[in-house]
Amino acid sequence: MNGKTAHILIVDDEKGLRYGTQRLLEDEGYSVETAENGEEGIRLGTSKEFDVALIDLKMPDIDGMDVLKEIINIHPNTICFIVTAFASYDTAIEATRIGAFGYLPKPFTPEELIYQVEQGIRQRELIIEAERLKKEREANLLELAFEKSRLNAIIKSINEGVLIINRVGEVAYYNYAALKYLNISDLKISEPVLYKLPEKISDIITNILEKETFSLKTITTQIEVKPNQELVIEAACTPISQPDGSLAGVVVIIGNITDFKKIELIKNQFISMVAHELKTPLAAVQGFLNIFLDKNMNLSEETKEDYLKRSVVRLKGLTDLVNDLLDISRMEIKTKQREIEIIRIEEVLTGTLQFLEFELKKKGISIEQNIQPNLPTIKADLNEITRLLTNLLSNAIKYNKENGIIKVEITTSSNYLNIKIADTGIGLKPEEKNRLFSEFFRAKNEKTRGISGTGLGLTIVKRIVDSYYGKIDVDSTYGEGTTFTISLPININ
Amino acid sequence: MIQEKFKKILLVDDDIDLLDQNKALLISRGFAVVTAESGEEGWKMFQSENPDAAILDLIMEQMDAGFVLSHRIKKTEHGKKIPVFILTSATYDTGFKFSASTAEEREWIKCDGVLNKPVVVEELISKLENFAGITK
Repeated sequence: MNGKTAHILIVDDEKGLRYGTQRLLEDEGYSVETAENGEEGIRLGTSKEFDVALIDLKMPDIDGMDVLKEIINIHPNTICFIVTAFASYDTAIEATRIGAFGYLPKPFTPEELIYQVEQGIRQRELIIEAERLKKEREANLLELAFEKSRLNAIIKSINEGVLIINRVGEVAYYNYAALKYLNISDLKISEPVLYKLPEKISDIITNILEKETFSLKTITTQIEVKPNQELVIEAACTPISQPDGSLAGVVVIIGNITDFKKIELIKNQFISMVAHELKTPLAAVQGFLNIFLDKNMNLSEETKEDYLKRSVVRLKGLTDLVNDLLDISRMEIKTKQREIEIIRIEEVLTGTLQFLEFELKKKGISIEQNIQPNLPTIKADLNEITRLLTNLLSNAIKYNKENGIIKVEITTSSNYLNIKIADTGIGLKPEEKNRLFSEFFRAKNEKTRGISGTGLGLTIVKRIVDSYYGKIDVDSTYGEGTTFTISLPININ
Repeated sequence: MIQEKFKKILLVDDDIDLLDQNKALLISRGFAVVTAESGEEGWKMFQSENPDAAILDLIMEQMDAGFVLSHRIKKTEHGKKIPVFILTSATYDTGFKFSASTAEEREWIKCDGVLNKPVVVEELISKLENFAGITK
């Protein structure tokens, strides 16, 4: 048997028959063990697994049927034969019922014995092979089931919605993200689903399913599932093929792109605003140039000079705006170009006031400083801190009254360095205060007429302060003045 | 002569440069001009001056100050009779989508046309002529 010696057990109380059978089988190349009674037979037959057992029916101690039962109970694949001289139809039936493979009537010829044993061994080989296959299949199935449940767990846990539709438009598989993104409350496997899907998706799927031929190309569409951009999805529909190349169905992968859309909207709005802000000064300069070229206009020298000067002012404003935009864009990239160093704020203040000296003198503004002695240093980018003070102080000059005052106070409180800049200018109306830090907002009223600015100064201030995890407060009374208080954490990294 | 039909034109713009330019151009073409620098001031000027046409900047103290003012003007008996134009650089190319080119849009916007900055005085005059043709 496959080059392996078959082990045979002989249980028989008749010594002659035992030895005779043993010798016959050993001559055939089998390895044989013998038991001289039922008890010994059970002990041997259960302690190790024999390929074949020949069990005498009538033994003085234990009946052969019981020996058979015990052995089969432990080793169901041992092929057992009941051997007896008292052959009867009933015992044969009974023995087979209990689990004997065959029945060997005494006396038997050597040929009969060997033929039966060979049959038994073949049977055992078949049984063992069948069992091996069964185990293999079970192992495969287990692995498959595990693989399936693992895939299932993965698909259920991902953020993308997954919906698989078979070739007749029924649900083959879905995960809950798909329900959420498609705004469908319930789906059953095998139910027709196309009518429940957004039209754009069902159109794509119908198109794929109805075509004679298909390519494995993904078709993508974006859909606003809930109005006002509350839920926007992107659905990617891909045909799936059977192993034979025919169409199996369509897999739809659904991503939530709501946040992306919101960012896109903000970006587009910002670009629109920037474009508008850039066009306005250009329109003003172009307008002046058009007047110079207009044949119907009769401009006095005085008016000409006035228009030219105003054009220069607008172009200067445009340059400032471009610079501010570049600053904001640099801040968006941030940290990369930042040079963090130890900064003494009082030194930055002195430098900034010197830089603004001309503007201060022109408007007759006086500065009152109240700087706490022995101020702690801060770690920051000198350019940014300088920009912060420049923007706030130049606003305090621009929006101040003639011969007004700017009070600068620098103090510490717990872990913050507090910079307070108060002007005696036109102040803010409450509704203006709320919009102060938004891009391009400029207070427009009878008192701000003629004050130029990009509308980005305070946006930049706010961004700098935020980037250092600081805070900014505004206190203002319309007609009296505005106070900005900046708090920057000390010992920031 | 168009200048006879629209003797006095109200210009409202918070950009003093554009206001002065358009004023100078219109005066050079024989119109009389009254000006205002905000929506609120423009409303007062409209009521006190009874202009024959109004040209309103769109973005002033508020993003839609020009629309607000044109709505107020078009609600009055006098306002219904005169052409009101919105003046702006915020058009299709900058992402703000309106043109007042259809009746439906004009119903919403309540103005008779949109003019791009910087305004070309000939274009304005031809718009006034068109308007006069329609109402004749």
